[in-house]
Amino acid sequence: MSFIGEVLRDAFEVLGDFGPEVREVLYLTIVVSGMATLIGVVIGIPFGVWLGLGRFRGRGAVLTVVNVGMAIPPVLAGLVLLLLLWDDGPLGGLGALFTPAAMVLAQSLLAIPIAAGITAASIRNLSGDATEQLGALQLGRWSRGVLAGREVWPGIAAAIAAAFGRVVSEVGAVLIVGGNIRGETRVLTTAIVQESRQARFGAAVALGILLLLIALVVNALLTWFQLKDTSRA
Amino acid sequence: MPDVVTLPALALPLNDGRHLALEPVEVGRGERLVLFGPNGAGKSTALRCYAGLVPGVAGVPGAGYLPQRPYMFRGSGLHNLHLGLDGAATARADAIADRLGLTGRLAGPAGALSGGERARLGIARVLARPASLVLLDEPLAALDARDRSVVQAVIVEELGDSASVIVTHDRDVAAAVAERMAVMIDGTIRQIGSVASVFATPRDDEVAEVVGIGNVIRGTVAEVEPPLVRVDLAGSDGARLDMWTLGDDVPGTPVVVMFGAEAVTVFSGDGPRGSARNRWQGVIESVRQAGRLVELVVDLGLPVVALITPGSLEALDLEAGRSVALSVKATAAQAVVVPLP
Repeated sequence: MSFIGEVLRDAFEVLGDFGPEVREVLYLTIVVSGMATLIGVVIGIPFGVWLGLGRFRGRGAVLTVVNVGMAIPPVLAGLVLLLLLWDDGPLGGLGALFTPAAMVLAQSLLAIPIAAGITAASIRNLSGDATEQLGALQLGRWSRGVLAGREVWPGIAAAIAAAFGRVVSEVGAVLIVGGNIRGETRVLTTAIVQESRQARFGAAVALGILLLLIALVVNALLTWFQLKDTSRA
Repeated sequence: MPDVVTLPALALPLNDGRHLALEPVEVGRGERLVLFGPNGAGKSTALRCYAGLVPGVAGVPGAGYLPQRPYMFRGSGLHNLHLGLDGAATARADAIADRLGLTGRLAGPAGALSGGERARLGIARVLARPASLVLLDEPLAALDARDRSVVQAVIVEELGDSASVIVTHDRDVAAAVAERMAVMIDGTIRQIGSVASVFATPRDDEVAEVVGIGNVIRGTVAEVEPPLVRVDLAGSDGARLDMWTLGDDVPGTPVVVMFGAEAVTVFSGDGPRGSARNRWQGVIESVRQAGRLVELVVDLGLPVVALITPGSLEALDLEAGRSVALSVKATAAQAVVVPLP
């Protein structure tokens, strides 16, 4: 049997067993990235709506910061957080380093700009007629934001999916602040790195397939939601 | 409601390099001011400024504003109708929507509404919220001719005590709705006054070209003989004048009769007999050069404006104080229904 064939056979064996270690890694991945996405969405989407609707001095600068944030390398975010959470660092007292909490925090930093940036872009794409009408309705600031957000919800759904996609697939940040500790802070991506480096390719591919499945489920949901949207032709 | 709402002075560049430059304008309680002018005059921009929607320009706080194309948000027509309204205003919006013929049309998605239905929804929504100033941008432009008179009547009635500014480029709408009219050309108000006075005595040639009609007189339909109606025109001091015009309204309907100053034929003395239904005797009040033509204002108990050539003026030997006969073909005049509050 060819090398690739053997690797695939091993991979499906691992998936077939679906042992406790794999389950644990899968579970932690979903929890950490899910939490980080939630935080990113809760902060990023209102911020993005505000940024998209707002007319204020320095808006261009804030948008630039957000856009840079969307492209920030995860290892860099991890490094910054590592320094903050290090024993001698300003947040060292929290003792959060090398715990899932630190991983959630690191991934949140990556999720917020993605959620905010895509939301702001969707809002800014509203037609002139729509923004004019938003202004004319004399709504409170909050209701106006909710109405605008509702109007661009396929864009906001895309922002959520993109935020989750970014954090679930990144390895640099969780590796640095989580430490890839077996049974404690190991997630799918860091586990794949680990297995690859130890030449256990079957296990690595098995975990890779799980990662792909997560992405597939999330994006299938998103597509389904967007196709269901018939209120706009 | 305040007795007077002051529209702020405006000074800002328009898109095409021209400038919007408006003096402050006062609009009284319950008064309807029409901003009239050609496309691109800056009417809509001025209205958006008053509504506070132009960055850096302070509008009139709390003004209600109807954009030219009301935008429909996701959700039902009813959801859109109630946006931004509190309980009492919601009930009012429902009632107005009913009168505008939207009953049964609002349950489905707003995106499926026609242009005319969207316009009516927007009108119902903006009229439902009490406001000292209501700004309407071309409220009737998207409507079929047959819907207009109903919608016009509802607008006038529901505006009630609110001062309002209504943008239109439609002469019929201006004549029917306005109490006062401001003619806007190239970003400035060239003339402001009662509708009849602006139409009858445009300040200059440019205004005359824009308003394009000389006589706008209020009256009541007295008799119908399709396709004509006989209108009882009312002068300011109780004077009356009968006039046949095109129209199809029932007796008793308040109307505005409009006919161009160039549609008036002037005869010296009694004049000859002819087929014209409308023949009146009067006295020349004033004679004035208007471009290449001469404008006569003739007192028939109410003033009627006629445009003639300098040649005719000389041939007929006309001057102020002379008695003349006027005639207007009934088919050259049009009666437009006026909604009464």
